[in-house]
Amino acid sequence: MSVIAPNFKLSGFIKSLLDNIFWILLIFVLVGLPAVFMILFLVELPVIDGEILTPFLALSYLVNPTRTLPVLHAFLTTDIFRVMAFPGFGFAALLAASVIFIERKMMAKLQLRVGPFYCGKVEGILQLMGDGLKLISKEIIIPAKADKPIFWAAPVLFVATAAAFVALIPVAPGWVVADIDLGLLGVFAVIGFFPIITILSAWSANSKYPFIGGIRALFQMVSFEIPLILSLLGVVMLTGTLNLSEITESQANFPWIIFLPIGAIVFFITMLAELERIPFDLPEAESEIVAGWLTELSGMLYGLVQLGSYLKLYAFAALFVVLFLGGWNGPMIVPAFPEQIITEGIEMGPITLTVDGLGPLVHETITQEMLNGTLWFVLKTAGVIFFIILPRGVFPRVRVDLLLDLGWTKLIGLCFINIFIALGLLYAGVLGPGGLQ
Amino acid sequence: MADIAFLALAVITIGSAIAALEMRSLIYGSIALMGSLGGIAGFFLLLDAPFVALFQLAVYVGSIAVLILFTVMLVKRELIFNKIEDKRRKFAGIGLMLLIMVSLGAVFIDSGIKTITTDEPPVDFRDIGTDFVTYYWPALILMGLILASTVTGALVLARRVDVEDGQRTN
Repeated sequence: MSVIAPNFKLSGFIKSLLDNIFWILLIFVLVGLPAVFMILFLVELPVIDGEILTPFLALSYLVNPTRTLPVLHAFLTTDIFRVMAFPGFGFAALLAASVIFIERKMMAKLQLRVGPFYCGKVEGILQLMGDGLKLISKEIIIPAKADKPIFWAAPVLFVATAAAFVALIPVAPGWVVADIDLGLLGVFAVIGFFPIITILSAWSANSKYPFIGGIRALFQMVSFEIPLILSLLGVVMLTGTLNLSEITESQANFPWIIFLPIGAIVFFITMLAELERIPFDLPEAESEIVAGWLTELSGMLYGLVQLGSYLKLYAFAALFVVLFLGGWNGPMIVPAFPEQIITEGIEMGPITLTVDGLGPLVHETITQEMLNGTLWFVLKTAGVIFFIILPRGVFPRVRVDLLLDLGWTKLIGLCFINIFIALGLLYAGVLGPGGLQ
Repeated sequence: MADIAFLALAVITIGSAIAALEMRSLIYGSIALMGSLGGIAGFFLLLDAPFVALFQLAVYVGSIAVLILFTVMLVKRELIFNKIEDKRRKFAGIGLMLLIMVSLGAVFIDSGIKTITTDEPPVDFRDIGTDFVTYYWPALILMGLILASTVTGALVLARRVDVEDGQRTN
């Protein structure tokens, strides 16, 4: 067991938690509630339906699902919910965090190690939380000769750019933060910001290893952006749109990977390079240049960069799913919500519970299509992320000149072959107007 | 609403352009240049041309500014620049800029641009594409040839012949 807390007992920990809850409740009842009522004397309470909204009435509103479900429904359709929670940051951060844990565990299994094991009793399930707490509580050390404003701003900007990338990804029909007409161009514009932030962060540390790593990252990202953009042109030609939701809808019958396998392979390779994953992890090569452009980052600055890079990983995998694997399309496997509960209510012996606000919520917002789409999207994204992680246990790192040679000659050539295949399919009438679709 | 956005963008663009010229640190200067180019992308968005705006972001901010940053970082400033502090040159430059601005502005205002009012929706990029392959096809082919020749030329210039490593003894 861990040496840091040798006398740690889970039962004792739970007991201390319960103790704390007990004391908080006691103090709230003895001090908090009287204070609330004293304040309520001074507040003029609003009148709703001819009744004064007393705390008792407000609490009974809160537990009444007929009143709270419309509020919940309204909240689910707001932009704030979209940005913060479901298709946006919260959802992506949750997936990214689980990717970090699964990656560590999977690498360990591939290399016949155990991996995270002790933290959280079951297979080290709480390791990630522990790491996060450690990063938050660590001191942020800034090198003496660093350029402080850029050094502070770069990790924040990195996360912000990754979040902007996530915002463009459609998760389920109608569930996307920014459904813009030129979604794919927006993706290209956002991807262009990553090398700037990387090189600025590397330069601002004023240290040689970050600078070498930053220059390598810049080389790699800028030169692989070109095959990245070219490899996606085939899909754009076949669909005739740049909107990511429309591209997904166009794959209702078959995903584009069937017709454009070369484009998909090239995009996957460039994705590995843009994400700085093994075998293209030269910017962070830990055996050559300490940790590359992350060397001088410490504490939560490092944590932010890690969060940003895993958000970026999720976003790239999701982009692959949207463009080549059909996004949310898939057979309907989520069962329909039982209509009886909405129309007749739930019968529990002599009592019949009817909920009024449930109908709109189930039929308009959390529909069967949305749940099914999200399920398929997450399954496909998890599969792509698995294939992104897998090379880390298999391949060695490549040399810089081989990497650049691969990007500038071979991949660009393959991209043009892919574009000609797409054009051939269009002109031969296999796809497009009069063809399969 | 558009006026506030326009004013903010104008301040960002012009302010960061002046900063790009006047900053002592070349790195901060190039960051300011990035802000200026981003502001221009914002102007394109205001003008209902999101296609151009996103290309402005992807090409100018994403690539050209990166190239400038890269060059600045790899070259020592003292070696290439010999800064001459000259007040007269500065004022002459500002005067020239004002002259050009006033004359160009007079031309624009005189051209009747103020009387144009339009409620048409933004031009679809598909229409631009259709125009390019139908009416403007010679221009498209010319551009394609020029770009292809430049790319080929760049590849030829950048090609290197690997010299066999003489130190290796087999």
